[in-house]
Amino acid sequence: MGANGIAVAKVDLKNIKPYGDTMNDGMMELTFTLPVPYGPEADEAAKILGRKMGLDEVSVVFSKDLGQGFTFFAMYGKCRHTVDFTAIKVAKADVEVMSREECQKYIENNIRRDVVVVGATTGTDAHTVGIDAIMNMKGFHGHYGLERYKGIEAINMGSQVSNEALVAKAIETGADAILVSQIVTQKDVHISNMTNLVEIIEAEGIRSRVVLCCGGPRISYELAQELGYDAGFGPHSYAEEVASFVLTEMVRRKLV
Amino acid sequence: MKLLRELSKKYRVVSVVGMAKNAGKTTVLNYLIEEAADEGIALGITSTGRDGERKDIVTGTDKPGIYLWEDTMVTTPSGLYDMSEAGLEILRVTEYSGALGEILLCRVAEAGYVQTAGPVATADQRGICREMLDRGADMVLVDGAVDRRAIAAPEASDAVILATGAALSRSVAKVVEETMHVAGLYRLPEFSDQAARRIIAENGNSGRLTVFEKKGARFPDVTTGLAAGGVLNEAIGNETKYVYLPGALTEGVVAGVSPSKLKQIAFIVKNPTKIFIDSASWRLLRKKGLRVRVLKNVEIAALTVNPRAPEGYSFDRAALLSAMREAAGGIPVLDVRYAG
Ligand code: B12
Repeated sequence: MGANGIAVAKVDLKNIKPYGDTMNDGMMELTFTLPVPYGPEADEAAKILGRKMGLDEVSVVFSKDLGQGFTFFAMYGKCRHTVDFTAIKVAKADVEVMSREECQKYIENNIRRDVVVVGATTGTDAHTVGIDAIMNMKGFHGHYGLERYKGIEAINMGSQVSNEALVAKAIETGADAILVSQIVTQKDVHISNMTNLVEIIEAEGIRSRVVLCCGGPRISYELAQELGYDAGFGPHSYAEEVASFVLTEMVRRKLV
Repeated sequence: MKLLRELSKKYRVVSVVGMAKNAGKTTVLNYLIEEAADEGIALGITSTGRDGERKDIVTGTDKPGIYLWEDTMVTTPSGLYDMSEAGLEILRVTEYSGALGEILLCRVAEAGYVQTAGPVATADQRGICREMLDRGADMVLVDGAVDRRAIAAPEASDAVILATGAALSRSVAKVVEETMHVAGLYRLPEFSDQAARRIIAENGNSGRLTVFEKKGARFPDVTTGLAAGGVLNEAIGNETKYVYLPGALTEGVVAGVSPSKLKQIAFIVKNPTKIFIDSASWRLLRKKGLRVRVLKNVEIAALTVNPRAPEGYSFDRAALLSAMREAAGGIPVLDVRYAG
């Protein structure tokens, strides 16, 4: 690897290919399951699928009977396709992430009062693990949740909370931030549920007073912008990213 | 039809809001932008969400781009600035910021496709619209996002274009019903009790939940009508005529009021964007005596219909147009794909 993180051996950024052990060999490894019984026909089916996916020199290097008519495969192949890396433009938002300790210091120095955060999984969605990962004491993957932060009062209302109840709680507690989690996305229910929340917040006249964040496996910055949220947090988000955003946003918008 | 020329005579800020995602807002916007170019009307363009991307991020379907001519003003966040093909001169880095970075107020220096996104909060949108007008735009068009319609509020927009179509439902009748429900809310009677209006105005308009009696007014101790249920019900006495809600009127709020009291009072809200009751519940609640008045309603400049849905099905264009026209009670209805 070069100093700037780009592989040095004559990479053609206009035509990048997967890297196995030599530049542009196109080598990829795939693992997947097919709903067919283990055997030579199953291996052949996997190879045909690989070729259809644009792979050359396909080989099934491992296959295993999963029982009940399912087979698992590990497959190698050389990808025919290339990508023009120089033409890629991605919508970005950069938030500088502070550690929990830094967040606490930041509150002490810049906000000088407790910050109230109200969160919930809304609508009919019953998944709590995501919002708990961000808010609960214990946190997630060794990253403590907001409840653990000195200077943050975290109110986690749980799941299946109506938008009305969430907004009422935010008003009652004078919340500085509202966190909403949406995990179920079938028939795009999360979209109308989240726009309804924004609209009620607007109607109650508190939109300018709160930092509004959403999160969940299908949430991105772009979607957050479209839905009218200040930020959106996707998979692998941690409490310190959320806290850093909320706190700096409060200061930037003079909500302290 | 010279839609934009007509609009520009009466309004300065017009928002294009949708009954659903993919109701055709961008197509309407493009139609108006094209007309502006022909008519020499200087436009400002902004969005409460994001627009101009080629693929819908939810449905993955193709979307029309937004092509802007030289000297149009437009907002775009720093995170999307690079994704516009047009040459954008940054007039000002605004104090507004969103999920995609700081909102930049730009002038199109070289015509081309643009991705636009603006402040997501309605109050901030008003600031941006005013600034574009101050900087010389004849008119500002605000693109509403998904089914968000807060921007339709009369403080924010002089008029709205309500975009609807097959994306809303597989049934023409249902599309017409749901759309006319919203159009009906936008044209609710304005509250005519001048004495009561004065009391509301004295409390800063948005201020406090107010209970109007046959004589005088009271301010019960509730911070919001939402989830106030029992408290609100108790606050309504035998002599109560109206309840002014500073915030949202939802089904939950109405459900908290006992049937006899519901018959006795009228709810007053600031404007129709504060009402969150769907057409089926509205009909039911009206039968139970629900009455709602607004301090100011929303001016509907036009209804636009899109017979196609992203799921792939579509309606007969003429049938949709005529069904909508029949129901629209004088509001102009058009399918902009065929209006030119
Ligand atoms: C555990 C689980 C359940 C548990 C939930 C228990 C509980 N208390 O939460 C139970 C068994 C109850 C359940 C039920 C259902 N489930 Co389920 N469930 C899962 C499962 C296996 C794990 C989800 C999870 O906990 N992930 C771990 C957390 C930490 O990740 P996360 O939620 O993405 O959160 C992270 C980020 O997204 C982000 N984040 C999330 N929220 C927020 C909020 C904010 C503010 C911020 C900043 C960040 C943030 O930060 C988190 C940490 O990094 C997933 C499959 C999977 N492997 O993902 C299915 C899954 C989510 N479930 C699914 C479904 C369909 C259901 C049911 C509808 C099934 C049914 N037919 O009955 C019901 C739903 C009931 C309901 N009304 O909601 C589908 C959803 C499909 C879709 N796209 O809509 C999934 C994806 C499974 C699948 N592949 O079909 N489920």
